[in-house]
Amino acid sequence: MAKRILIVDDEPRYLRLLEANLRTEGYEVVTAQDGAQAVDVFSGQPIDLVLMDVMMPKLDGFGATQRIREFSSTPIIILTAKGDEQDRVRGLDLGADDYLVKPFSATELLARVRAVLRRAQPAGDVGGQSRFFTHDNLKIDFARAEVWKGEIPVSLSATEYRLLLQFAHHVGKIMSSEELLTSVWGPEYRTDKEILWVSIARLRQKLEDDAHAPKHIVTRSGLGYLMPPIEE
Amino acid sequence: MEASSFSYFHELMNLALETSDTRKTTEKFLTLLRQQFVFDNVAVYLKDEQTNTLEIVYARAVGRAKSAEADANWGETFASQVLAKGKLLVKAPDINATSDDRLSQAYLLGIPLRDDGLIGGALVFVRFGGPAYEQDHVVVATLAAELLSIMFERKAWKQAHKELRDLKLQMQLQEDFVSTISHELRTPLGFIKGYSTSLLRKDTSWDEATTQEFLMIIDEEADRLSLLIENVLESARLQSKTLPLRFQPLRLDAVLRDVATRLRARYKDLEINMESHALKPIQGDGVRIAQVFDNLFTNAIKYAPGSPITVSVQQNKEKAVIKFKDQGPGIPTESLPLIFERFYRARSEKATGTGLGLFICKQIIDAHRGKIWAESTLGQGTTFFIELPMNPIN
Repeated sequence: MAKRILIVDDEPRYLRLLEANLRTEGYEVVTAQDGAQAVDVFSGQPIDLVLMDVMMPKLDGFGATQRIREFSSTPIIILTAKGDEQDRVRGLDLGADDYLVKPFSATELLARVRAVLRRAQPAGDVGGQSRFFTHDNLKIDFARAEVWKGEIPVSLSATEYRLLLQFAHHVGKIMSSEELLTSVWGPEYRTDKEILWVSIARLRQKLEDDAHAPKHIVTRSGLGYLMPPIEE
Repeated sequence: MEASSFSYFHELMNLALETSDTRKTTEKFLTLLRQQFVFDNVAVYLKDEQTNTLEIVYARAVGRAKSAEADANWGETFASQVLAKGKLLVKAPDINATSDDRLSQAYLLGIPLRDDGLIGGALVFVRFGGPAYEQDHVVVATLAAELLSIMFERKAWKQAHKELRDLKLQMQLQEDFVSTISHELRTPLGFIKGYSTSLLRKDTSWDEATTQEFLMIIDEEADRLSLLIENVLESARLQSKTLPLRFQPLRLDAVLRDVATRLRARYKDLEINMESHALKPIQGDGVRIAQVFDNLFTNAIKYAPGSPITVSVQQNKEKAVIKFKDQGPGIPTESLPLIFERFYRARSEKATGTGLGLFICKQIIDAHRGKIWAESTLGQGTTFFIELPMNPIN
C-alpha cells in the first residue's frame, strides 16, 4: 500500500514542489497550509509521515509538532527556512525525527523521506495513536488540546493541561510528586510539592464530580498520584 | 530621636529620591538643610569621567559672601583634595592672618560623594569667619552628602538605563532586519533550488507541461530575487542618504501621464482616470517621483485587480496633493499603519511583492519633505495621498 505523506507549508509553491516530487516516488500526498489545519488533517486519516514547515500563520510548525506528539509517534520532518541551529534543536526536542534546511534539493528531500520511513515502525503498528482519550465522563481531544467533563467543555491553564496529560498518558501507573514536578514544571521544581498540591486540587475542582472523592486523579498516600484504570 | 526629626529626615529623603529636575531639587534640599546646618556658600562638584576633572554642577551663596561673587572662596582646590583623599576634610583659616575681613577667613568642610563607578565628586560647605564645624554639624553634613549622592547616582543610573534601552532597541531593529531579509532572500532561492533540482533528477521524467510550469516558476522567482536585491540596495542607499536627489522643475501631471502611458502598454485593460488642472511646476526629482507613482499604480493593479484607478492632483502656493483611488477590497484598519514599514506585505494568493515598494516610496517622499499616507474602507477601496511641498529646498 502506498505510504501517505502530509505536507504542511503556507507557501503554495513549496506545497507544489513537495507534492510533485513525492508523487513520482509513488507516495500519496495530502496537504495543509497552517499548523492548525495540519493537526486536523492528521487526526482525520492514517498518515505515515509529516513534512512540516516551521514559519506558518495560526499555529506554527513547532506548535503543530508538539500537538501531534501528544497522541502519535508518526515520523515528522521539519522544514526550517532559517538553517538556524536553535530552530533545528527546538524541533528535534519537541519530537521531530529529522529536519531539512531550506533551500534543499529534490534528491535530498526524497532521500530523507526514504530514510525516515525506513526507520519508522510500519504504519498501523504505532501504539496509542488516537486523537481522543476518555476516562469515565472525562474526555480529552489531543489534537485541539480541549477537555470535556461530560458535555461541558472545561477550561484549563497550560500547566493544568500538561499535568492532566501526564495522568492520561500513564493510566494505572502511580507517579511520585518528584516525577510529576520534573516532567511538568522542570527539574528545578522537583521538591516544590506545594505547587503540585495546589494544581491537583484545582484540576479536581474542575474535573471531578466530588473533589473530595476523586475518580480521575486519586491520591496514594506516601507514593504519589494516579489515574486508575476504568473497570469494565 | 523625636518624631519631628524623623519627619525632617523624611522630607530630605523624599527630595533626594526626586530625579526629574536635579537643579531645582538640589536647591530645595540645601535650603531645607540650612534649617539645621548653617553655611554661607555651598558647592557640589561632580567628576567628569572623560577628563577626570571636577565640574561644578551646583553653587549657591546664601550668607555673608553673597556680594563677593567670584572673589569669595568656593573651595575649588579643596574639593580636589577631598576627592583625591576620598575622605571628609575640614580646613580652618590661618590663625596668623591679621585681616579683619571675615570673607578671607573661610572655614571649609568637604565630603566626598559616594563613588560607585557612575558618579564621583564632592560637596563643599563654606562658613566665613566661623563658627568652626562641630561634631554634630559634621554628622548632618555627611548625611546630606550621602543623600545627594543617592540623588545624583539615581539620575546617572536612569540616564545609563535609557541609553542601554535605546541601544537594545536599535540592535533589535537591526536583528529583525537581518532575519527578515535572510528569510526574504532564501524563499525565492529555495524555489529556484527546489524546482531546478527537480528538473535535474535522473530517476524520473517530467511531462512537458510540468517542465514548463517548473521553468516558469524558476524564471519568476529569479526575477523576484533580483528585484528584491535591487530594492534592498536602493532602500539602503535612500536610508543612508547616499542616493542623491536631482531637484528640478517638475510638472506632476506630465509625470503622471508618462507613467500611465507606460503602464497602459503593459496592462491592456487598465483603466486610469486623470483629474488635474493646468499645474505649476514643483521642485522634485523626476525619476524618483515617477518611481513612486509607478509603485502606487502597480500596487493598485496587484491588490485591486480590475478596478479603475482615479488620480487627481490639487495644488496651492505651498503644496501639491496627489490622490490615487482604487475600488479594490481595501486594507484592514489595523494594517494601515504598517504598510509603509520595511518588509510589510499584504497576504494575497500570489505574494510576489518584496515588501519594500511602499517603504521606498515613503523614503523618497520623505526626502522631498513631503508626506504619504493611505485611507481605506473595506469592500470599497483604498486611497493613497501624497503631499509634496512646492519647493522642498526652502
